[in-house]
Amino acid sequence: MGEFILDFGIASAVLFVAYNVFKVFFLKYFKNKGKVKGRAINIVVALLIIYTFVIIYQTAKDNYGDRALAYMLLQLINQIPNIATLALATTAIVLIYKTSTTTNFAQSMMATFGAYFAAKTIQYTGARYEWGQTTTVVVALLAGALVAFLLGIFIDSVIIRYSKDKSPVGKQMITMGLVIILTGLMPILFGTNSPTNPLNIPRLFPANDQIPLTFLNTWGIIEMELSMTRHAVYIMLFAIILLALLFSLLRFTKWGLGVRATASNERVASMMGVNTKLITALSWGIAGFLGGVAAIIKAPSSIGPALMVSTQVNGFVAAVLGSFTSFAGPLIASILIPPLQGLLVTLVGAWNFAVVYAIILAFVLIKPEGLFGKKVDKKV
Amino acid sequence: MTYEKQMKNNINNKMMSIVKHPYFGFFLIAALMLFVQLLRIAGVDVPIQTLRAFGKTMIYIIVGLGFSILLGYGGLASLGTAGFVGLGAYILGYFTNQLGLSIFMIILISIVFAIILGTIIGFISLRIEGMYLAIITLAIAQIINEVFKNWISFSNGVDGMIVNNRFVLFNQYVVLDQNLVFSVIAVILFLVMIVTYNIMKSPTGRALLAMRNSSSAAQAMGISIFKFRLLAFIVSTVYAIFAGVLYLSYIPSTFPGDWTLSLSLLILAAVIVGGSRSIYGIVMGTFLIFGLDLALLQNRDNFGGFFVENPEITIMFNGILIILVIMFYRGGLIRLMNTLIAKVKGIYSKLNKKWREYRYGTDIK
Repeated sequence: MGEFILDFGIASAVLFVAYNVFKVFFLKYFKNKGKVKGRAINIVVALLIIYTFVIIYQTAKDNYGDRALAYMLLQLINQIPNIATLALATTAIVLIYKTSTTTNFAQSMMATFGAYFAAKTIQYTGARYEWGQTTTVVVALLAGALVAFLLGIFIDSVIIRYSKDKSPVGKQMITMGLVIILTGLMPILFGTNSPTNPLNIPRLFPANDQIPLTFLNTWGIIEMELSMTRHAVYIMLFAIILLALLFSLLRFTKWGLGVRATASNERVASMMGVNTKLITALSWGIAGFLGGVAAIIKAPSSIGPALMVSTQVNGFVAAVLGSFTSFAGPLIASILIPPLQGLLVTLVGAWNFAVVYAIILAFVLIKPEGLFGKKVDKKV
Repeated sequence: MTYEKQMKNNINNKMMSIVKHPYFGFFLIAALMLFVQLLRIAGVDVPIQTLRAFGKTMIYIIVGLGFSILLGYGGLASLGTAGFVGLGAYILGYFTNQLGLSIFMIILISIVFAIILGTIIGFISLRIEGMYLAIITLAIAQIINEVFKNWISFSNGVDGMIVNNRFVLFNQYVVLDQNLVFSVIAVILFLVMIVTYNIMKSPTGRALLAMRNSSSAAQAMGISIFKFRLLAFIVSTVYAIFAGVLYLSYIPSTFPGDWTLSLSLLILAAVIVGGSRSIYGIVMGTFLIFGLDLALLQNRDNFGGFFVENPEITIMFNGILIILVIMFYRGGLIRLMNTLIAKVKGIYSKLNKKWREYRYGTDIK
């Protein structure tokens, strides 16, 4: 069964390649020649992905024999908290890009601020993850995320709102300045992590609280028994609910319409009666909230200013890969990146981060508009 | 001797022609650095920490000058600076520790490396523009940092690398100890400033400026974006990697943690706060962001050790400075300085006029 799934995946990828090859010939001889290049790129990328997966599978097979597929699944399951963190962080980055037209480098620091607050609250209440205190921990975490929300609104209403007319690079510099400010501010406000001032965010549930994934066995995918920590399951559900909520807000509410209008053209939107100030402020707040949640569910972790930096880099790379112009693209990219990093461990060991960045860099070089982006024509 | 000739040979005029020369300021800066070191050698009580801080600051000035060609002239925001400086440091460490090459050879190798790297990033910048460039360079810096951490045989991993032998020049006659390296850095800083000045004031600099304002318009005027963007990246990378080589020959240890995003951001802060298009501005900015912190505030004797115990305050101050400069005072310290000088000159000429009126009467011409 497991073998079948892998074969099915490879077969569908091969079909995709064949379809693209057909399209290339079709387009070349009968239709528009300009689209040939895009198709050719698709073919190359698909072939590379297939090749990578086959190599990874072969390596796993060499190392683990029959349990190779189970091992790969285990790697994927282990990455679920990372996927949840990255998806939230990336969505926050894209949200700010849409409304303020800047890549927010301070995103990670806003998120870490929330995590600091949550850790301080947990320290104050003395809560731990022993059974019965989960509620206290959850309340502390929500308080942290809320503080990140307020920080986002504060940053927008004090700084970003008044830098509308600055160049894109200038705005980026402002967010970099915010990074430096928050890096300095957080240890002053909350103190540094030490035995007398422990700033830790505990798991929601102890690490040995595992949920067996019996459906994998009953469906006959693998023979080995795998399990997932309850913490990871809850995190995954929480992230899914949060993202679903956000996307439905964007789709169905007036605020979402306003965000989309502001994204397409801020000046015209404000002329049409959209309260762009409020919408931008709320977007910064929500981005702070998402980031705060992401920083908190990165637990168990001890808090320092560099907590979210790697997630931030991953998030940016995911957003570039999926194209900043859409919400779905970065989300898909952020779901793809952590499993890739996890799987590449079998192949390249500690180099997995560097290799993934290099792959994405190469891809973006070939296709600068990203996986799902549209090419935008420039005007003088 | 005619009157004109006499005026020409006037010692005062000769002095003025030297003082007004564009390189004179650069010379003064380098000479001041050497003077501080001379004071220490002569026995004046200059703390060794101050001297080390000045050495580091000079190295960061070199990095900042390269960065200003990229940011101030090219309008290209890069966050890979720290990674490149680190790469230079590790190249020096690897080639001297493992292969025992001479310093000239290593500088040559590092410059070749820098040109290759700059070309690659320049090509990337042709495809990926504007805001995305900062992200992509950030990813590249991250890759470089991963190399420092994981390629044990090259960089000795997270344990860091220590250069155990000092360099010798001219057949063992000159040993480059830390004091001599300081002087060498001062001289190199002087040369680098001259080179930067010439790049900035040449057609290349003007082409870069045109490109910064509008790449499409520049292209329409016949400026090759390809050529100049590549050039900007190559120059800035060469500066950064060369500064890295100097860094490790001055401070003989390096760790992957030294070359993270925060250093890139501080260099950016120095360039922006000082004034991204002025050499003196960058010197002032770097002394404000790095020099002040390293020389004065990190010294336990000053301010009762307040800033040693609370290093976060200086970091925060740097961030606030960046935002203030970008939002309210584009041009930074150098603009402030120029405004002040103009004000002082205005007041002086006013007073001078009043004095003349008082001394000679109003109707004198």
